[in-house]
Amino acid sequence: MSMEKESVNILSAKQISIQAPLSEEWMDNPLNYSEDYVRAVDPDFKQFISAGDARRMGKLLKRALATSLSALQEGGIDNPDAIITGTGFGSIENTELFLDALVREGEQLLKPTQFMQSTHNTASSLIGIHTRCHGYNSTYSQKGFSFDSALYDAWMQFRIGRIKSALVGSHDEMSPVFSGFVRKAGHVKEGEICSEAAVSVLLAESGNAYCTLDGVRLLDTPSSDTLKEVLADMTDGGIDAVMTGKSGNSENDSWYGFLDTLLQGVPQLRYKPLFGVNFSSSATGFYAAACCLRKGSVPAVLSESGKGVECSKGILVVNVVEGRHYSFSLLKPVCGK
Amino acid sequence: MEEMILKLKQEIIEVLNLEDIKPEDIDNDAPLFGEGLGLDSIDALELIVLMEKNYGIKLQDPAKGKEIFKSINVMADYIQKNRTR
Repeated sequence: MSMEKESVNILSAKQISIQAPLSEEWMDNPLNYSEDYVRAVDPDFKQFISAGDARRMGKLLKRALATSLSALQEGGIDNPDAIITGTGFGSIENTELFLDALVREGEQLLKPTQFMQSTHNTASSLIGIHTRCHGYNSTYSQKGFSFDSALYDAWMQFRIGRIKSALVGSHDEMSPVFSGFVRKAGHVKEGEICSEAAVSVLLAESGNAYCTLDGVRLLDTPSSDTLKEVLADMTDGGIDAVMTGKSGNSENDSWYGFLDTLLQGVPQLRYKPLFGVNFSSSATGFYAAACCLRKGSVPAVLSESGKGVECSKGILVVNVVEGRHYSFSLLKPVCGK
Repeated sequence: MEEMILKLKQEIIEVLNLEDIKPEDIDNDAPLFGEGLGLDSIDALELIVLMEKNYGIKLQDPAKGKEIFKSINVMADYIQKNRTR
């Protein structure tokens, strides 16, 4: 296996969320919400999925497939070497229907389609079947750390030379009932919009790219010395901004306090007020950073200071879950862009 | 029987999530599987559940489904003769 370091490029990044779907309209005209629970804005799925295929798919599967096909199309790759997916809870809406039927009618009258969709890896396998990509296919289900885990898997496989392209995504839906549970369990906090998101990102060693992925690190309960060391290592070439998971909730935002001292003076960005909070939130932050580097600037709407930021060196995406699990992804502009 | 056929078609459309199909689009004599509606083996399981849940018909031998689900007319006739609710 080759250990030579090839660059990993982000060829495309697509989202369906509470912002306009499959579009970067949010950069100029973001949708604003006063509600604390908002479902995703869906595109017309018929352009991606036939009525026959769609009838066995819940919302999450349709969104996962639409963002995946859209990302593959824009990136110009039909058959990625790997499909790696994150999801906090999979097709929870169908899981609820399946469990409701189980409680109501016992085990005798359960619907096979709901059963099939009640497993977390359905999205990744559906994408594999639909695109006829029969290579590496894996699903990570680590609550709000799912996308980060999927991305890290892809990163490692690129590094050891096992793959040359990967479709990495994260998809989560939020039913009305489930949103109540999620709030009670503290996964979505006061002041945060409980939302849904499906994000697909196409990574490859070559191709016309939005930006490059320069590094991914995951840390569990790191000491302040480790955080200092990792940040110094990842940002030694300089960065334009740091994309944080700050949401406006004081407990959540306190987890990012280390950035104020360790990356003093670096503009901080926030994607959660725009995209809301769900188990695929960090994927929307990664997506937003890739879009900013593609455009060459960060729109004021993302910036904590309310001012736009020019991008020439890179954006560090930071996700902290439950104050313990840390992920860092460094995105850099394409050389010469 | 007309009323029963219409109800059955509506139930099939709902349970199989045939979004773009209306009851009048389904030919009473056309095959449900393969040609016609183009249903498959998972749909057959859904129809077995539908018959038990809505009409109290427990299909002991799933292989029999091939004959019962031949068309809407055949299915409606079977339900009419065997229903317990």
